[in-house]
Amino acid sequence: MATIHDEIDNWLAADLHGELSDQERRELHLHLIECAMCRKTHHETKTMNKILEETLTHEKPDPAFEQRMLAGFRNRIPETTGVVKLFANLIRLRAVQITAVAAVLLGLVQIGRMLTGENAAPLGNREYYASGKFIAQPGQAGALRADQSTSLAKSDELATGRPQDLALQAPPPTTVPATRSEFDKEAAARSTGLATAKAVAATPENRARAEQAETKPGETPAPVQANRKLIRNATLQLEIVSFDDAVQKITAFANEEHGYVATTNSDKQANGKLRGQIVVKVLPENLDRFLQKLRGLGELKNQTLGTEDVTKAYLDTDARLKNAHVMEQRLIDMLKTRTGKVSDLLQVEKELGRVREDIEKMQGELKYWDSQVQFATVTIWLAEKNMEEPAAFLLKERAQLSLYAPDVEKIYNDIKALASPKVQITNAQLNRDDSGRVSATLSMLIVPEESDAVIARVKALGRVENFQMQTQRIAQGGGGLSENARTKRDKVELNITISREEQEQALQQTSLRIRTSSVDQKAKDLRTLAEKQGGRVRSSTFSRDPDGREFANISLRVPMKNYASLMQSLNSLGKVENVSVQRQDRMGAQIDETSAPADISIQVYSQGNIVSHESGLLATLRRTLAQSAGAIMWSLRMIGVAVAFLAPWIIAIVLVIWITRRVIRAKR
Amino acid sequence: MDANEREQYRAAIHGDRETFEMIIRTHSRTLFAIAYGILQSREEAEDVVQDSLVKAWKTRWRVRDAEKFPAWLATIARHRAHDVFRKRHTVSLSNEAIEPTESQSPDTTAIDQQLHSALAALPELYRAALTLRYFEEMDYRTIENTLGLTNGALRGILGRALGSMRKQLHPVLASMD
Repeated sequence: MATIHDEIDNWLAADLHGELSDQERRELHLHLIECAMCRKTHHETKTMNKILEETLTHEKPDPAFEQRMLAGFRNRIPETTGVVKLFANLIRLRAVQITAVAAVLLGLVQIGRMLTGENAAPLGNREYYASGKFIAQPGQAGALRADQSTSLAKSDELATGRPQDLALQAPPPTTVPATRSEFDKEAAARSTGLATAKAVAATPENRARAEQAETKPGETPAPVQANRKLIRNATLQLEIVSFDDAVQKITAFANEEHGYVATTNSDKQANGKLRGQIVVKVLPENLDRFLQKLRGLGELKNQTLGTEDVTKAYLDTDARLKNAHVMEQRLIDMLKTRTGKVSDLLQVEKELGRVREDIEKMQGELKYWDSQVQFATVTIWLAEKNMEEPAAFLLKERAQLSLYAPDVEKIYNDIKALASPKVQITNAQLNRDDSGRVSATLSMLIVPEESDAVIARVKALGRVENFQMQTQRIAQGGGGLSENARTKRDKVELNITISREEQEQALQQTSLRIRTSSVDQKAKDLRTLAEKQGGRVRSSTFSRDPDGREFANISLRVPMKNYASLMQSLNSLGKVENVSVQRQDRMGAQIDETSAPADISIQVYSQGNIVSHESGLLATLRRTLAQSAGAIMWSLRMIGVAVAFLAPWIIAIVLVIWITRRVIRAKR
Repeated sequence: MDANEREQYRAAIHGDRETFEMIIRTHSRTLFAIAYGILQSREEAEDVVQDSLVKAWKTRWRVRDAEKFPAWLATIARHRAHDVFRKRHTVSLSNEAIEPTESQSPDTTAIDQQLHSALAALPELYRAALTLRYFEEMDYRTIENTLGLTNGALRGILGRALGSMRKQLHPVLASMD
């Protein structure tokens, strides 16, 4: 129980705090019974515990403590509102942080762009302004404002007929109508007079609107609009069936609209199709109707409609003209009064000439503008359907022929002899190289009707190895299909290659061995056999080795048709062995099988009948002994090498051990 | 610690203010006990608790493990109380002032005064453990968790604390018998 006694404070504290297990408490109580000192300590501790409990209870926080803490907390950290709170929470997310950084960078880039002047927004505004101006340009601003809902096309139509109407019917109201009803009536009358019948001024609920609609044209004085100088022109592309029909119809349309055809030009293509351009002048007010009619002619490919306002330039020129007239008059007056020196008069005369020139130039300009304004120009591009259809087809044939013949030169000359006005040789070449190989190439052009006959004749001259015919159909003056285009045969191009038969690769290669006792005799027999079958001996060798064996190598070439019978007859010569046949079928080549060459290489040999000193029991023994002696010498050498490798090390180690021992012994 | 509690701590860490206020209700007494244990002054202890709560709210995302949230709160309170204690100590030393605990409670009885001076002589950790036990009547395990003590160390601390106090108060205790 020494442990309990030594740590009595811990035990007592735990006991008082109710943290001892039953076992521990029993042990403690047993000790307390035994030890008087610890009993005293226990007593004191208990008293002190009580004092502590009592004293500290006073110091315990009052019941309102939590509430106070909470209030203080709320006071010091005011609650954030929903959005701010959400933001505050969001900002702590990694993804949001990255996004924010990216956004800031983007913003910086944007600011940089704005500073360097790559500004997009003002440009857009400018465009908008320009387009707005364009719409206002045809002088229909009033009409547009009068009825916003009217479609653009309609207002366009309206505008063409407008200037006169306005000038006639809507002079600016000079007197204020006496009564309101009178004004209304007038307004209604005027609105029906205009094309904007849609304003529906008759119904009372729309009256106010009608009024508004009517007062607006009054704001912009009508005479100004009437005096606008507008040059209108249009360009169309049409695809039509027949060019002439279209021209007739366009002329008729132009007459209907009080216009005229200014120029016409047409162009005939190789395939008989027509293409052309017509320029028509029509009154500007009839332009839209005219264009509508044109659409009926064929397929509209493209249309542009442009209006140029030359009012300002026109008025400027007009004013300058008037000034020039005044100037002219003044100069004339100066000449009439005739005061001053002659040189001055000459000066005046010169000036007058210049002014008159100006006047003429300006008058011409005004006249040109007048003519342009008076008539709208319509340029019509016409093209007949299927412009790209080919006019004709050309059939091109090209033949490739390879010939093998024993005498290349003879055939080369034969083919050259075929030349005639209908058969033209474009290229002829005879090659002979160092090794005596001869080959020839010929190219010729043959008129189509002769071609088959000529090719047949050339083929008969030698063995045809390869014949290829290529036909090409070429569309002329266009592309694609055509039903009515003619097809023409072009000259046939024939390329011929002539080679000597020896150079030809055999279709089939056979090798075999024949064993016989008399090689020389059989080799001779073989030659006669081959000649009988129409074959040729290409090479032959004869050899005899020291063992008395004889070999004859003979290589033959026979036509394929005789191959089988030759093989049969070989059996009569001896025992045929090791037959191997290799056939080389050439893809795509047209070969005359029966006359194609077949190569046969034959080895006729005999078994040796002399025993050589290089074989037999003694020779074997001798060889064995020699080999074993060699092996022993080799192993001896290897031992020497090993010793040379190891000896220095062994010596060194032994030396070290010996010295160490000596040292140890000396120490003792 | 059950899952519900852990969920509560996690919500508070993620900025749920209501949950945090709930935690203030349940934990501020513990914090007070720790602060009082170190400072022996109710006013100062209350201020410390207040400061600790504000600091905890502001730096709540530093807590990685939701389970350690209460211990983390206690650590903040202990550090804060320690700072205050140190500051007071230097101030009182420079002023050559009398023990502040005595000046704080002038109306206590002689036993109380002696008890307080005995308490003041104990190390900070001992006082914190004592107050947690006597204010909150916490069991040893909870106190160990709150103060971050290893298993069983508390028994020694409390034993030594009581023993040391007993020796100091020996005359008084003997007279009381």
